[in-house]
Amino acid sequence: MEPEEFSLVRGALRSFATRYRVGSADEIAPRTRAAAQEALDELGLADLRRASPPAATAQECALLAEEHGGQPLTTSLLGTALLAPELLRLLGAPATTARPTIALARDLRFPGPHPAPLVAWDGDGADHALAVDPEGIVRHVVPGPPAPTADPLRGVRAVPGGGASVGRLTPEARRHWQAYALVMVSAELVGAARSFVELSVGHARERRQYGRRIGSFQAVQHLLADATVLVEACASATRYAAWCLDHEPPGRALTAARVAKAEVNTSAVEAVYAGMQVFGGIAQTWEHVAHLYLRRVLVGATVLATTTDLLTALAVPDPEVPAGTRTPDTAAALAAPEATR
Amino acid sequence: MTDRPLDFGDRADLEHLRRDFRAWLAGNPLPERGADEPAAVHLHRWHRMLHSGRWVGLDVPESYGGRGLTSLHQVAVSDELGARGAPGVPRIGYLAHVLLEFGSEEQRRRLLPRMLAGDDTWCQGFSEPGAGSDLAGLSTRADRAPEGRYIVNGQKLWTSYAQHSDLCLLLARTGDAASPHASLSAFVLPLDRPGVTVRPLRAANGDDEFCELFLDDVRLTESERIGAEGDGWALAMTTVAYERNALDTGHLPKYGRLVERLRRHAHERRGRLPDGLRSEIGRCVVDYQVLVAHARRRTAERLAGKTAGAESSVDKLLMTRAEQRLYETALKVFPEELHGEGGDVFGDYLYSRAASVYGGTSQIQRNIIAKRLLRLPAADRRD
Repeated sequence: MEPEEFSLVRGALRSFATRYRVGSADEIAPRTRAAAQEALDELGLADLRRASPPAATAQECALLAEEHGGQPLTTSLLGTALLAPELLRLLGAPATTARPTIALARDLRFPGPHPAPLVAWDGDGADHALAVDPEGIVRHVVPGPPAPTADPLRGVRAVPGGGASVGRLTPEARRHWQAYALVMVSAELVGAARSFVELSVGHARERRQYGRRIGSFQAVQHLLADATVLVEACASATRYAAWCLDHEPPGRALTAARVAKAEVNTSAVEAVYAGMQVFGGIAQTWEHVAHLYLRRVLVGATVLATTTDLLTALAVPDPEVPAGTRTPDTAAALAAPEATR
Repeated sequence: MTDRPLDFGDRADLEHLRRDFRAWLAGNPLPERGADEPAAVHLHRWHRMLHSGRWVGLDVPESYGGRGLTSLHQVAVSDELGARGAPGVPRIGYLAHVLLEFGSEEQRRRLLPRMLAGDDTWCQGFSEPGAGSDLAGLSTRADRAPEGRYIVNGQKLWTSYAQHSDLCLLLARTGDAASPHASLSAFVLPLDRPGVTVRPLRAANGDDEFCELFLDDVRLTESERIGAEGDGWALAMTTVAYERNALDTGHLPKYGRLVERLRRHAHERRGRLPDGLRSEIGRCVVDYQVLVAHARRRTAERLAGKTAGAESSVDKLLMTRAEQRLYETALKVFPEELHGEGGDVFGDYLYSRAASVYGGTSQIQRNIIAKRLLRLPAADRRD
């Protein structure tokens, strides 16, 4: 995208997020959820990655995911606007009015071998879900009733039955897909951690104890400095991984994406812990937004890949990507975003 | 700056440079280290070889002996060296930045080409026995003498590789200590000048990298001052800001080599490595790769026009985290380092304990982040 155009899209998303942010857990209700989703859908972000070559780079999409994660929002940006359209694009599926999200395993990791129990994840506004199995086969599944989750902002629904295959990703496209999904989920969590640390810094500047602002105490300063370092580590890793999706082969992008998610899984949670500590007692209440951020990053750390999954995969040398797996179709689908400029 | 897309480099252009460099490396391998040749001398030979192929100072303007390219090009060369297990480019990037920013045109033309070529080896005389974390409290004085001269007296500490150096970037007080920051100035001190005594210190790992520097009535001229009187603090902060970035210190290839060694070990001992240790190795890979990504982001930000500032304290803390966890893990993976004679890894492990001290302690970095990035209220004021 041209910088001005991206700036406009981002500005529109920011206005939306400020308008529809949830002020406390009690404000989460089906009617307000639907209204918020409708308002987000009007921004047309599902078109950003739907066509090949895509209208927006992965880095731009990651920045939008970060923006969305900055506020407590019930809306689905990841599932319905950024992830499912990318999957359809990789499959070369024709445009329809259907509105899918993605399906994950019950424990929210990447789906295991078919048939495995699934959930439709981040599915507000979605009419079906797409599951990618380890072989790269993509299935169309139909979501049932809402499934319980510790993150009340996130719409998750059980998937009662199996599904029909709608296509298959090449090994290269599957690696790209995994990398892309890891990066977008990471970016949203970076937004949440960054935003909550900023809130706690603001609190430390105002809150007074012992006749002084608590932000003047070195113990509090160092806690917030460490949280800042963690957020910047998450941001750097995620941003670089997003850039790799735009410019590097999928194998390298997947390694960078795993690194980013592994960093975010632990550091975003640590950063939110630090912020909660600075807020003190108020952050332990139902009314305060702190637990919404905590739930978001805590559950987020299990989405797609857990820390154990990632550290185990990263502990050994990168497997060689077999030559000749890059088909012309995939090459077109993965086309460098420069082609759009 | 964090909310706009960043350019991490033109892959085709950088790949071209990498290819050229690989071809050069094939014909110019790292020379053998002599039996009792000090590491610093060996590296200096390597530095001169790299320079002969024009692989030093790629991001320095051509008029000062560089190639007028960007830091991304310099990073690509660093990466290639790291990937081949060769020592990194000489650690002069941060000194070159300081001369470019604070030196006069005459100084840049005289000093930079020689620095890049390795004709002059530089060290850094900032810390003192009484001024570590509180650098602005240093007591070395440079007093005005007739005919535009200065007379310098004092003592410096932790002056790395001074015994192998020709020139020292010296920080001394030229004004009234009542205004500690505004009364500092920087000089280029030739170490063969009368009155200079260099004494190596033995570090915990047995190396003699660190030195003491004694200055007794050393004479300097005005032309040896860098910047104006009183510019010393700003110059020192610029130096440490660049020094805190893993990119400019050349530490990344060193970490990368050990990380790959750990990964190969994890692969070879698949079934026999405890899960906990496997995870720890994975964590070292993450720390290292995050540091690489972070350094690249800083490079991209620099190219987008941002200069090194307080956020370099974030860089330093991330580098410290990666280095200290890496060597702790390496000692667990290679226990013979601890129970046998103690090899290179153990020596580097001991050195890694200094990472949270040199270049500003981790506590000082947190103070800087709190004060300058987060704008938290001053700690000493009761209001």
